[in-house]
Amino acid sequence: MLELAERAVRAALACGAEYADARIVRSAAEELCLRNGALVEGSAPFEFGLGIRVLVQGTFGFAAAPGTHRELADLIPGVARRATRAARDLAATRRRKIELAPLTPSVGEHRTPVAEDPFGVPLEEKLELLRAADAGLAAKVAGEPTGAELVVREARMSFRRAEHWLATSEGTRVHQVLVRSGGGIAATASAGGVVERRSYPNSFGGDYHTGGFEVVRALDLAREAPRVRAEALALSVAPPCPAGRRTLILGPAQLMLQIHESVGHPTELDRALGEEIDLAGASFATVDGLGRMRFGSPLVNLYGDSTEPGGLDTRGFDDEGVPSVAFDIVRDGVFVGYHTSREWAAQVQETASTGTLRAEGWWAPPIVRMTNLSLRPGHGTLAELLASTEDGAIYADTVKMWSIDQRRLNFQFTCEVGYEVVGGKLGRLFRSPTYQGTTPEFWGGCDAIAGPSEWRLHGVPNCGKGNPMQIAEMSHGAAPARFRGVEFVAL
Amino acid sequence: MSLLQDDHAFELLEALIAESPADETEATLECIEERFVRFAPSGPTQSADRERYELALRVRFEVPGGGFREARATVGTLDRDEARAALQRAVTLARLAAPSPDAVPLGGPVEIQATAPQRPTQDHTFREKNQWIARALERSEAEGLLGAGLAATHVGNRTLVNSAGRRVHAARSRASFSMSANDVHGAAGRGGAGSAEQIEANVDRLDVDALVERAVSTALRSRDPAPFAPRELTVVLEPRAVAALLLFAGFGAQDYAEGSSFLCGRVGERIFPDDLRLTEEPGTAHSPGWVFDGEGSPVQRVELLRAGAFTGPLTDGRWAKQLGLPNTGHALPQPSADGPAARNMVLSTGHAPLEELIAGVEDGLLVSQLHYVNVSEPRDLVLTGMTRNGTFRIQGGHIVGPVRNLRFTASWIDALTRVTGVGSKLERAGALFEGECSAPALRIDGFRFTSSSSF
Repeated sequence: MLELAERAVRAALACGAEYADARIVRSAAEELCLRNGALVEGSAPFEFGLGIRVLVQGTFGFAAAPGTHRELADLIPGVARRATRAARDLAATRRRKIELAPLTPSVGEHRTPVAEDPFGVPLEEKLELLRAADAGLAAKVAGEPTGAELVVREARMSFRRAEHWLATSEGTRVHQVLVRSGGGIAATASAGGVVERRSYPNSFGGDYHTGGFEVVRALDLAREAPRVRAEALALSVAPPCPAGRRTLILGPAQLMLQIHESVGHPTELDRALGEEIDLAGASFATVDGLGRMRFGSPLVNLYGDSTEPGGLDTRGFDDEGVPSVAFDIVRDGVFVGYHTSREWAAQVQETASTGTLRAEGWWAPPIVRMTNLSLRPGHGTLAELLASTEDGAIYADTVKMWSIDQRRLNFQFTCEVGYEVVGGKLGRLFRSPTYQGTTPEFWGGCDAIAGPSEWRLHGVPNCGKGNPMQIAEMSHGAAPARFRGVEFVAL
Repeated sequence: MSLLQDDHAFELLEALIAESPADETEATLECIEERFVRFAPSGPTQSADRERYELALRVRFEVPGGGFREARATVGTLDRDEARAALQRAVTLARLAAPSPDAVPLGGPVEIQATAPQRPTQDHTFREKNQWIARALERSEAEGLLGAGLAATHVGNRTLVNSAGRRVHAARSRASFSMSANDVHGAAGRGGAGSAEQIEANVDRLDVDALVERAVSTALRSRDPAPFAPRELTVVLEPRAVAALLLFAGFGAQDYAEGSSFLCGRVGERIFPDDLRLTEEPGTAHSPGWVFDGEGSPVQRVELLRAGAFTGPLTDGRWAKQLGLPNTGHALPQPSADGPAARNMVLSTGHAPLEELIAGVEDGLLVSQLHYVNVSEPRDLVLTGMTRNGTFRIQGGHIVGPVRNLRFTASWIDALTRVTGVGSKLERAGALFEGECSAPALRIDGFRFTSSSSF
């Protein structure tokens, strides 16, 4: 298949491209979802196609077509011609020619470590696992809140295997096999017009990691189902989280979103340079602040890492062949790094890309996407963190709702659960804790982060960016962290 | 040319159904051709000339006593062997699936007029798009603004055949030009932004010069925005802002039946002004949209809000039967964890030009667009989001100047009860996430802003 990709590159060069890369992607997936016991999603998508990206007169062009192994050879000339024609037709309005940061051609292979092939596990076994989880959600127990009822039960799992072949006109030849697996459960309860949902291990349909079926086994959905049911019912009769300014401790299943929205997107260099401004917006983390701007308290250290074990964006190379690396984004509270590609790294005179150019599939031109981005752990346990926190603080976790402005400053997020901290422990349960803030001030209020034993990596399977929008996946790791002076909003 | 003609598509799908061992089989093929160019201050940044196929096979085995075991497999090529493999995957999944006792048999023949893509949209070239982009960039640069946007044309067709005798085929065409003009990063650095967007089925109906002028003039008027303390006050929401809120009202029967919809307890209750009329419409020659749903049922025109009251939910085959309602033709491709939902809402126009809506405001805001709207609470449809691309103070019936962006947190249902004016011009718009609808401007009393931005 790499030979076909190389043939596509040669075809593009023959059409006049100054640079060309060709990606062939074959992907298979399996999506299973039980809703109230019935299989409402049982699907097995399969994709196979070719995308060619070229530079002509310093302008990118891209064309793509679907095809099987048999068909690809016949498709190559037409796709190459269309890509170069697009670039040539658009070159007249380029204000500056696109240049690419240097790259020593990559030649290599990467395969996600998989202990148990998810596509080799019998369907019966997968469905039985989901049925057991559903049964746990359905089972009533004594002492459930009066007037509360469970109205929706969901148990799902999902697997994807994507095989990529990439060749470039500079000599890069890369083959990757990326496998990700995951699943989750959720219960929705209703009481007196209040409807609340509780998820495990996270919302977004569960949690996902690179790896095989061992990822799903480790979730032990059936074990957690009774707790999820109980918490959903309790939420439906819980009081709303009161408004006002107080201390907030966030758990890892909410910190993932806080990191994603307020750190990940604003540190994508194309955004910071105003090139994403029409739809998703720009960034407060502009280039003149690099190395100087205070992003958070000195405790805050955030790093990108496309080699993070289990991360959804863990791979060997990005979609232009740049090898995966780890790099700092916020060091000791200071903004020090961007997610970049070869084009954008060159634009700011960086010597190399941080390797975060990715496309949703063979059909999409690659764009800068945040990679796995995590908060370095601090010290101690969650129990110790709670014990050192004053009464009236709120511990909140699990993403429910999110909204952030077009420069990634003003955000408002709602969590699934909130607990009042009383006597250094979790006390009364609140529903829909909603907090609002401004990014640097919020991270500046971070005065404690729990240690490595509390650090958890959560996957984001639905990150949207681009126009037309492309979906990408990545992970964020964090241990519970405490933030002072946070504003809670009444809904 | 990647769009299969209806006869070829029917032939392909019927051959697959003939090979299916299932009690019921449905085959759907969607073909797409798309050309888009994204542009930014540096010029065209991304483009694509691409085609895609999605062939979906849904198979069902009857369960004694009622219901079906069912599953679906899709494949992104037209290769016959791959299609057969997809059919086999669906069959394997369905045989093992937990039964869906509420599933109803596949629908039989329906009358749907086949439609074809709009040729001007299908044939629109990169060179023509680049002429638009040149005008957008030159006009922005002349004013010291950063121009950015998207020029896109998309044509597709969808064919559905099932073993109960349903055979439907239709096309969809969509052309759009959107741009924003920004002073955020400009040399002057005075803040201010404007945007404009037009979506049509026929590319020839796009008025790019007017869009560019609108985005640029709004940006110029919104330079040097003043701080503004968030509070409750009267707003005039321009059509794109209304659309961004309206898109969260799905009107789906599943949410309604499960108690999480804003419709719960409100159907038939006369709480809205009589001049608010909301309909769900099938696609037309002038409006991108499908004429049949994920089950091949005709998309019905449905009055969702009439005479001051919601009329009820939108349905698919399953939820129509369960709730004893007509099937309105709003199914997603089945099986699906999500229920039916509105896809093409139209909020009817009133009689007031935008200037008249503004003239009726003693103290309030004009909001051009909203950003990153999301649902905080579904039963009252409490939404939050930011203003964007032009927010203006209104005093004594006149715009007195731009203000910095604000966050709102407000119940959209409550807000609709306080509408005091409906604009006379309809615009079709999307939002940050998927979906688009058509709406006029609205004037609303007591709209709640909860925080502000520094820009």
